Amino acid sequence: MSLFTYLPASRLWQLFIEPFSIDFMWQALWLGSFTAVVCALLSSFVIRQGWSLLGDAVSHAVLPGIILAHWLAIPLLVGALISGLGCIMLTGFIDARTRVKSDALLGVSYTTFLALGLVLMSLYPSSVHFTHVLLGNLLGITTEARHQLLMAGGIALLCLILRFRDLKLFCFDPRHARAIGLNVVLLRYLLLACLGLTTVAALQAVGLVQAIAMLVAPGCIAALVSRHFTRGMLLSAVIAVLSVWWGLVIAFAVDIAPGGCIVLVQALFFLLILGGVMFKRSLRKGISQRTFHSADVTMS
Amino acid sequence: MISLIEPFEYAFFVRALWVAGVIGIVCGVLSCFITLKGWSLLGDALSHAVVPGVVIANLFAWPFALGAFIAGMLAALGIGLVRRISGLPGDAVIGVILTGFFALGMVLISLFPSMISLTTVLFGNLLGITAADALQMLIIALSVGAIVFLCWKDLLLYTFDEAQARMVGLNVRWLYSLMLMLVAAVSVAALQAVGAILVMSLMVTPGATAYLLTQRFAGMLWIAPLLGGGLAVAGVYISYFLDVSAGGCIVLLQGGAFLVALLLGGRRVRALSALDDAGIKAPYKPTGGQA
Repeated sequence: MSLFTYLPASRLWQLFIEPFSIDFMWQALWLGSFTAVVCALLSSFVIRQGWSLLGDAVSHAVLPGIILAHWLAIPLLVGALISGLGCIMLTGFIDARTRVKSDALLGVSYTTFLALGLVLMSLYPSSVHFTHVLLGNLLGITTEARHQLLMAGGIALLCLILRFRDLKLFCFDPRHARAIGLNVVLLRYLLLACLGLTTVAALQAVGLVQAIAMLVAPGCIAALVSRHFTRGMLLSAVIAVLSVWWGLVIAFAVDIAPGGCIVLVQALFFLLILGGVMFKRSLRKGISQRTFHSADVTMS
Repeated sequence: MISLIEPFEYAFFVRALWVAGVIGIVCGVLSCFITLKGWSLLGDALSHAVVPGVVIANLFAWPFALGAFIAGMLAALGIGLVRRISGLPGDAVIGVILTGFFALGMVLISLFPSMISLTTVLFGNLLGITAADALQMLIIALSVGAIVFLCWKDLLLYTFDEAQARMVGLNVRWLYSLMLMLVAAVSVAALQAVGAILVMSLMVTPGATAYLLTQRFAGMLWIAPLLGGGLAVAGVYISYFLDVSAGGCIVLLQGGAFLVALLLGGRRVRALSALDDAGIKAPYKPTGGQA
């Protein structure tokens, strides 16, 4: 059973491929991979914009929306989106009118939203399992949740692909974007909406913590592996899918929570790549004085 | 009338009240520094990062606070290190490390089930806090309070102007580590009261509210702990009657107080901000975890 003994091909097959002949594992794999790809593509933009905390905020702030949507019997996705994006809009509105630092303000508002959700939940305990929202339930995802995930993720993906060049320009040089006649405000809201949609989709599939991880880690990996924005983005998407695959494999073999495993595998990828970048740099220049800056990433 | 004092007949409720009060006060003191320094995200990160420490401490039957504190410090070190060698933006690095630590905690919990409940770690269990845990919490809170009381002037200068702090001969690196340790210690203490998810609120909101209400730091240092402690006690008290989650109630009150302060101080603050930066403020650029 030990992994360290010689692994024949059949054993590898058994470990890495065979679990996915089971229905729910296969479904977890492709839904997880879909989510991972959408998140990874968006992640590069998020890192570029310094929006890491925003993903965090949206994913926490959806709770009251989910519970209210459950009461009103409207799709959870709609409630989650309204409450998550509402939190950000509200924060932005207040932010323009006070001197409190933006990050503190965001912290105040999203924890308040979350607490509101908690209180609502304990007032009227319902069948929405908060642990599922928080930890995700990739292995037992319901049909309804699957449809909502595919829809939200699909819309976000479509927006990103169709407006890719504009969004990229907006992230790198908003002034230039404005000068050539792009509607910068609209682009900003488009990106925010994509962030909201993606976060909500990821929440349904993989839970809160992993949603945050999936929105932040790939962007970091992309900035490390390549100076080309698009190339780094695509590479990070591949790595995100690999993380889902291997995370599921480990979770299946050891019988533990898949969400945590996927995040851990992705974090290990990040550390490995960081080590690799350091090593390469030390080969090239001896011990380099120059540190890498994400500002070095070019648009090409 | 009798029903209003009814909860005080229960020992566990009285304990929850004073524990919440003490945590609220200490968090309030620290929140002044955190909000001004722009460390909100770091506070969030540390409060999530202590989770694997809690699990491991439970596994080896160590005091729970020790494991949590070590995990918090490891996370802080990791953030600093990765940030320096990768050159990635601070908030992104914090995001990666935070989720990595938290995921490790989740995996550990699912590896060793029934040992500790995830909901306790996430949401706290104020009403079920044991006497030993309360004592641990009290010791942490008192030490943090004493340290802040002894060197609040150094910390204040460091918070406002790092360059000047260095110039007048303060050891800035040491102050940085000290503040990190304080934040980690407080998030460990607050973890028991409101859980990992809402610690962030206790460590940010009172400071932000106080910042709206006064222009002077000394004033903030009075208002924030009073708000933090008072609202924590009020939150627990109200939660008894409404039969809702105590942690959620505390945070909701804090958020409400912030909103009231915002509306009360609205006009003056708006005029100030117009002077300060002509109404132009970079949207959502967290400066979290400046090292």
